[in-house]
Amino acid sequence: MKNRLRVLRAERDWSQADLAHRLEVSRQSVNAIETGKFDPSLPLAFKLARLFETTIEAIFSDEN
Amino acid sequence: MFYSIKNPAERRYVIRMWIMAALCVLFSLVAALVFRLSHPHNVVAYLVGVLPALPIIGALVYTGIYLAEETDEFQRNLLVQSLLGGTGGILAVITAWGYLEDFARAPHLDLIWVYPLFWLFAGISYVLVRARYR
Repeated sequence: MKNRLRVLRAERDWSQADLAHRLEVSRQSVNAIETGKFDPSLPLAFKLARLFETTIEAIFSDEN
Repeated sequence: MFYSIKNPAERRYVIRMWIMAALCVLFSLVAALVFRLSHPHNVVAYLVGVLPALPIIGALVYTGIYLAEETDEFQRNLLVQSLLGGTGGILAVITAWGYLEDFARAPHLDLIWVYPLFWLFAGISYVLVRARYR
């Protein structure tokens, strides 16, 4: 699944470790989600949306 | 040593596994000593003989507890995939070896090796699964 995490993170000047700390997950988790290799659960997707003050659809896209 | 592990669920898991490993060594020594000194029979022999397996069963239970306690879904997913790899690997090897013993007279593989081999295959799976997410 495609996502805009890298862009959203860059806008806030956060490292993967910063985002991982805010989400209370490992940096490896953030990297796996960001590279599209791991799709987060709905609760984690909502957590990301709340953190970036946007909607899940604005972060994730199911287009190839 | 354990305080360097930041994830609390992982820290608890590592501590519990070390305790189970220590208990396994202790119970193995106790069982060996009892069998050497008093040669127990019947029910007592079974009870003493199964003693070293109890911490091993405990370690498996604690692995399940860790999966329930781990809040990082990606890490949980890595471990689940690794455990599936370990289970599949040991089932494949033991089944193949069973046929080899029956038909080709291969040397007997003691069942005591199933548990360490399971973790060996789980460890190999973990490395492979981890590499896929790099």
